[in-house]
Amino acid sequence: MQTEIRHTWFLDHSPATVWEHLTNSELLSQWLMANDFRPVAGHHFMFRAGPVPKMDFDGNIYCQVLEIQPLKKLSYSWKFGPEPGKIVLDSLVTWTLTARGQGTELSLVHSGLQEPEHAIAIQGMREGWDKNVGTRMVQLMINPKIHETNS
Amino acid sequence: MKQTVDTFQAIGDPNRRLMLRLLSKDSLTINKLAENFDMTRPAVSKHIKILYRAGFITIEDIGRERHCILNQNGFKELRQWIDYFDNFWQTKLKKLEYLLNEKSKKNAN
Repeated sequence: MQTEIRHTWFLDHSPATVWEHLTNSELLSQWLMANDFRPVAGHHFMFRAGPVPKMDFDGNIYCQVLEIQPLKKLSYSWKFGPEPGKIVLDSLVTWTLTARGQGTELSLVHSGLQEPEHAIAIQGMREGWDKNVGTRMVQLMINPKIHETNS
Repeated sequence: MKQTVDTFQAIGDPNRRLMLRLLSKDSLTINKLAENFDMTRPAVSKHIKILYRAGFITIEDIGRERHCILNQNGFKELRQWIDYFDNFWQTKLKKLEYLLNEKSKKNAN
């Protein structure tokens, strides 16, 4: 099951320019969202957007800078929920920059777009849930006596 | 509008996840399903109602029995974040590209 988004774009601008637009709060707000980002590992910040109630999203994205390698890589956590203090999505955004001629190849990976517990539950039901093994596991979990009878 | 909230509430409970796993094998009558759980019948019914409301199962009367059947709709709901953010990032990146291009045009002039 897909739980991440990957995209690569080519921008006809230097890595330094692209990097500035990813890490300067004012520039970032011009194309992404209002924010209080600072290019410092460990810095907690927020993006603010319009709420999308059906997505369980109240408009606030809670982030923390996790990794920062100037001109090369930037990653931050990306969490939100339906109301303050309640997080339903705990995901990760990673930007990677690679110089290509005069321009920059910019990659984005947005991963963990699923609560881990939910991913397991779904995986159990949708894919890879081998019917025999799966059923037997469930039986054992809920009724260990079956195991005794069978062995 | 409450659909997603219900979706996550629905599978946030271990008993309900177990119900879904049991139903992923085969549809079951409510009585059969209840046999697998050490809880009162009204408690089982309450869980079933939550799963039904979130679109994970359908309930059909066959003969005298009520059958619970796994429904794919509930699962589709869970994947909305992927679609939403995919679209979100594409739009934002177009905006970034536009912004960068406008600036270099200005610098060139």
